[in-house]
Amino acid sequence: MKFLPLIWSGIWRKPVRTILTLMQVIVAFALFGVLQGMKMGMDQAIADARADVLYVAPAASGGAPLPRAFVERLKLIPGVKTVAFADALFATYQKPTQPVYVMALESSDVWLTLFPEVLRIDPRDLQALRETRTGALITTDMVKQYGWRVGDRIPLTSPTLQRNGSGTWPFDIVGTFTPREIGDDSGGYILANYAYLDESRVLNTGTVRNFYAIAADPKQAAGVAEAIDNSFANSPNETRTASFRENSQQAMQSIGDLDFAIRSIVSAVLVALLFSVATMMMQTTRERTPELAVLKTLGFSDRAVFLLLVGEAVVACVVGAVIGLGLAMVAFPYAEKFVPGLSMPMAVIKVGVVGAILVALLSTAVPAFRASKLEIVDALAGR
Amino acid sequence: MNFTKQFWALLRMSLTAVPQRLGLVLTIVVGVACAVGVLVSMLAMGVGARREAMGNVRSDRIILMSAGAPGPMQSSLGKDIVPLLYDLPGIRRNAKGSPMAAAQAMIFTQAREKLTGDRVGFALFGATAGLADTLPELRLTSGRMFEPGLHELIASNKCARQFSNFAVGDKRVMRGGEWAVVGNFDLGSGEGMCVVLADAETILSAFRINTYNQVTALLQSPREFTQLTEALKANPTLRIEARREAEVIEESMKRFNGILNFVSYFIGAIMAVAATFGAANSLYAIVDGRRRELATLCALGFTPGPLITAILAESALLALSGAFIGVGLAWFFFNGFAASPLGFSFQLAVTAPIAGLGIAWAFVMGIVGGVLPAVKAARLPVTTALRAT
Repeated sequence: MKFLPLIWSGIWRKPVRTILTLMQVIVAFALFGVLQGMKMGMDQAIADARADVLYVAPAASGGAPLPRAFVERLKLIPGVKTVAFADALFATYQKPTQPVYVMALESSDVWLTLFPEVLRIDPRDLQALRETRTGALITTDMVKQYGWRVGDRIPLTSPTLQRNGSGTWPFDIVGTFTPREIGDDSGGYILANYAYLDESRVLNTGTVRNFYAIAADPKQAAGVAEAIDNSFANSPNETRTASFRENSQQAMQSIGDLDFAIRSIVSAVLVALLFSVATMMMQTTRERTPELAVLKTLGFSDRAVFLLLVGEAVVACVVGAVIGLGLAMVAFPYAEKFVPGLSMPMAVIKVGVVGAILVALLSTAVPAFRASKLEIVDALAGR
Repeated sequence: MNFTKQFWALLRMSLTAVPQRLGLVLTIVVGVACAVGVLVSMLAMGVGARREAMGNVRSDRIILMSAGAPGPMQSSLGKDIVPLLYDLPGIRRNAKGSPMAAAQAMIFTQAREKLTGDRVGFALFGATAGLADTLPELRLTSGRMFEPGLHELIASNKCARQFSNFAVGDKRVMRGGEWAVVGNFDLGSGEGMCVVLADAETILSAFRINTYNQVTALLQSPREFTQLTEALKANPTLRIEARREAEVIEESMKRFNGILNFVSYFIGAIMAVAATFGAANSLYAIVDGRRRELATLCALGFTPGPLITAILAESALLALSGAFIGVGLAWFFFNGFAASPLGFSFQLAVTAPIAGLGIAWAFVMGIVGGVLPAVKAARLPVTTALRAT
């Protein structure tokens, strides 16, 4: 502890140099924080995704949808606890460039608990939706984007035609919900009643976009998924069943070689930083040789001199890293724009600080060791 | 002594002393090389993806979809509409006099990766007779074309290479029926995605659908596009929109390009800032180390102008050598490197424009990083500096 003032004055010996080095450390760790945060945040999102909710969809999208009656067959499959279903309507609001996806839910309480990580609905809003046939729940984003309010009646245009031949679907806004969907890149979606959609459309009546089958035991979910696909295999309605976790894993995988890119960039950043800090430390020790000799003359041991120099580097790097990681946390919500539902795990901070200490140790080890071995006479003479 | 003479003398002095200050000099070079290397590699991704996607684009090819549909999956064209579209003005006709246009139904379904056995999605198109006319770059490399009415498929060589069960002679089971792979093909210069083609009517009945997703057509010339869109506007009940092929592909890549550009320039800029700080730091240390030398030069009559310019030139030269190393590394490691972010694969391409951009970027880093140290050098108080150790 008594060395702290000494370390402090050593750090501020050349203020411009220290500030520039600190800036480099800050910038490098800000970048490290954002990139590493994205990577770890994705791993986290996959681990958090529910393994017991199975998404049952037709094996071929673009083909005929699945009949709603499959609900009964799915319930009979061993290991399946609950089955729910939903459909979707592609529509636009006013202009062809303003897409609004309508997710049509069956009338059921299951939506309150089925997947909080996909959407959160207040029981009152769900009740309001169920009471109004043409009702719809909207997101706060849509309030901002289109100025919609609860009580408004909005006409949406869709290529899916109603029985009366019209492609215009009116919806009455009765409440709001909070969507959270990883990898959701659409313009946003609203919730509506399946009954309204299915009873009004001309084509594909009695069909659904997908089922949600919930496995009684998350550990058995993979087996249940296989059992579902097997029971429909080789029929005209083949299914493709995957758990939410598997799907989010795939969504993340489709972002693909990101892992590789992040690792390459982070290594490039750290190599440049390491090099820079190391050079600066060498320069400092060279310039301070006489001072260090004086310290030794006063009785500082080799080890104390070594620790003094390493301490300076560690303090500078850790302070810079903490500030940089702090900046990364502030900047992180912007990265969320590209990978929704991501949050920066605290583990990144730990990894970052450990990284900063490593950078400091690696970059000072050689110059500090050399300084600790200085012969007082030579050093004072400037030889 | 005039400006240029002083400048060259100073610059030569700085450069001949480089080996004595290797550490500091290398800091500048390595910092800039890393920043430029990362920027160029990331931009190479965007260029490669574009090259891949745009490789087969023809200016006279158009795509007709439902008005407002963001992509073919949201578009649906009834069977009754398709013949009307074939007769639109401007569409080219082949030697037999039939329009060079084909309707396609699009299905997404799964195959298995050869290596890992993982499920991967691929696009299956059911195309009508005009297919060969609208897709002149399709070249069968083995087998034959599918026969209308039969459960037969042809798959691009990409599918055959990457996924199991797509070679000629293989059988696939879809929707309870057995399908034979009868041909493999290449599509012009593109390698990007796995594409599987089959007869339209067979697909429609097997997958129990009754609408197509899109119609592709060739125009007599790219100029006929206006005429065709006018005709569509005159008939609003059709609710059909025509788009040039390049536009459709551009649209489908918008999100990918947006992410990539943002990430490239964002990360590139941050690394450039760090490299600039590093360069400034090293130059300060260099100027510091040369205090006595610089003061002597001032005493000899060297003026601040050439001094500042020479230090800036030194800094820019070091940054540029870093840039060449960075571009070189990016080219060496990543040119031709196959990447598949966001689900479609392409080869990274380090081209002259992005290399030039990286070098210009480095030049700016060198100049900005050099300004303060150069000014400091020019302002050294001669008397005290002469006494420096």
